[in-house]
Amino acid sequence: MDPKKVIVCRCEDVTLEDIYKAIEEGYTDLESLKRYLRIGMGPCQGAHCIPIVARILASKTGKKFDEIYIPGNRPPLNPIPLKYFLKKQQG
Amino acid sequence: MVGKADIVIIGAGIIGVSTAYNLVEKGIRNIVIIEKNYPGSGGSFRCATGIRASFTSEEHVLLMKESVKLWKELSEKHGFFYLRGGYVWLLSTEEQLELFKKFVEFHNSLGVPTRIISVEEIEKLVPTINTSGLVGGVYDPLAGKADCFKSLLLLLKYVRDKGVQVYTGTLARKIVVENSRVQGVETDKGFIEAKKIVVAAGYGSRDLLKTAGVDAPLNNLPKHALVTEKFNERFKPLLVDWSSTSYMVQTSSGTFLIGAEIEEEYNVKPVNRIEFLYKAAQVWVKYFPWLAEINVLRYWTGYYVMTPDHHPILGPIDDIDGLYVATGFSGHGFMMAPIVGKLMAEWIIEEKPSIPIAENLKLKRFREGKMIKEIAVFG
Repeated sequence: MDPKKVIVCRCEDVTLEDIYKAIEEGYTDLESLKRYLRIGMGPCQGAHCIPIVARILASKTGKKFDEIYIPGNRPPLNPIPLKYFLKKQQG
Repeated sequence: MVGKADIVIIGAGIIGVSTAYNLVEKGIRNIVIIEKNYPGSGGSFRCATGIRASFTSEEHVLLMKESVKLWKELSEKHGFFYLRGGYVWLLSTEEQLELFKKFVEFHNSLGVPTRIISVEEIEKLVPTINTSGLVGGVYDPLAGKADCFKSLLLLLKYVRDKGVQVYTGTLARKIVVENSRVQGVETDKGFIEAKKIVVAAGYGSRDLLKTAGVDAPLNNLPKHALVTEKFNERFKPLLVDWSSTSYMVQTSSGTFLIGAEIEEEYNVKPVNRIEFLYKAAQVWVKYFPWLAEINVLRYWTGYYVMTPDHHPILGPIDDIDGLYVATGFSGHGFMMAPIVGKLMAEWIIEEKPSIPIAENLKLKRFREGKMIKEIAVFG
């Protein structure tokens, strides 16, 4: 399959080719790769793409998946509208 | 790991990276950067990304004016996002307006073109804002914002390509000093001999400097921020609500980044607190009713590394040969990084900064009782 046509991070529209290129440029840890390409920074918060990217990174760098994978856990776990944090006005 | 380097920089945040960048530009190559976590993992990647010269001390204004110029040059040379979209302070009382007239006068006297603006002008600069309750604002057209990720990562790649060694996941434990001269750094992966050491490790600098017998008055203040999902550009300026000391900015990726002040204590571990989300929503939904329907994606904590006078500690430590420090930015490290990197490289190579007033920011000011004076603390 053409890496240009494989979308790995759907929220931020990052292709497999973008990831291969970034790894070649030296972004070989998940934290840097994530911020360089914005992988996992969209509404899914990395739930779908980060494990896949970690696996690609593992195969490219020869490191173990467990060494690379860092599960993100910043709240909220799912996107939530700001209105739910509005306190009711008195009266 | 290498056993020897000309210069060891501790901390791969934007300050350490910018210092390495400026040293590389002066032809120095034998540099090692040590980072305990990953590049940018401290304040740099958690910041609000705002950049301005509109401060209220001469030291801040003169350094930041130069930094604003350098941000433009760096972004053009290395191809990362930087936009002079301005800052707008939203003012809701006549008293605030009177206070800001003094700030504007001070800025203008130092060549920073801020000005008081009317509610109508705010509406022009910030489409869709609900200005009820506002009496006016202040606009700084020279201020702006940059991509905190790409700027650091691209500068880091540049110095790496020039031969700078970067060791991530490596903890600096002790600065070894003999006969008032640095000998090297002990890390958890071994010793690196060095003639010069730059400590740019944020709050971690406090404990590190202690190992060299140096006391730096640093305190870590937890801060809170969130981002929403992304949208096309809605407005360019970074907004500061003066009454609540909260800010909101649309980042380069289109997300809205919101920070709001909640009560915090020094030197406690930052934790997520629901009050922050209540405060952020309360302040900003009032200005932008549409924000109520917008999703929050992430909420994270960070910290301001504070000094007693809210100004950084920069330059050589006078009583130890070869020891340099750049920390304590009190919330302004990202924006100051380009000029700080330049000044640090000048101190290291030429022993003199090109902006003489930077000498006022050396650590010895606390010992000598020469704290920096501000006309007021301004956001």
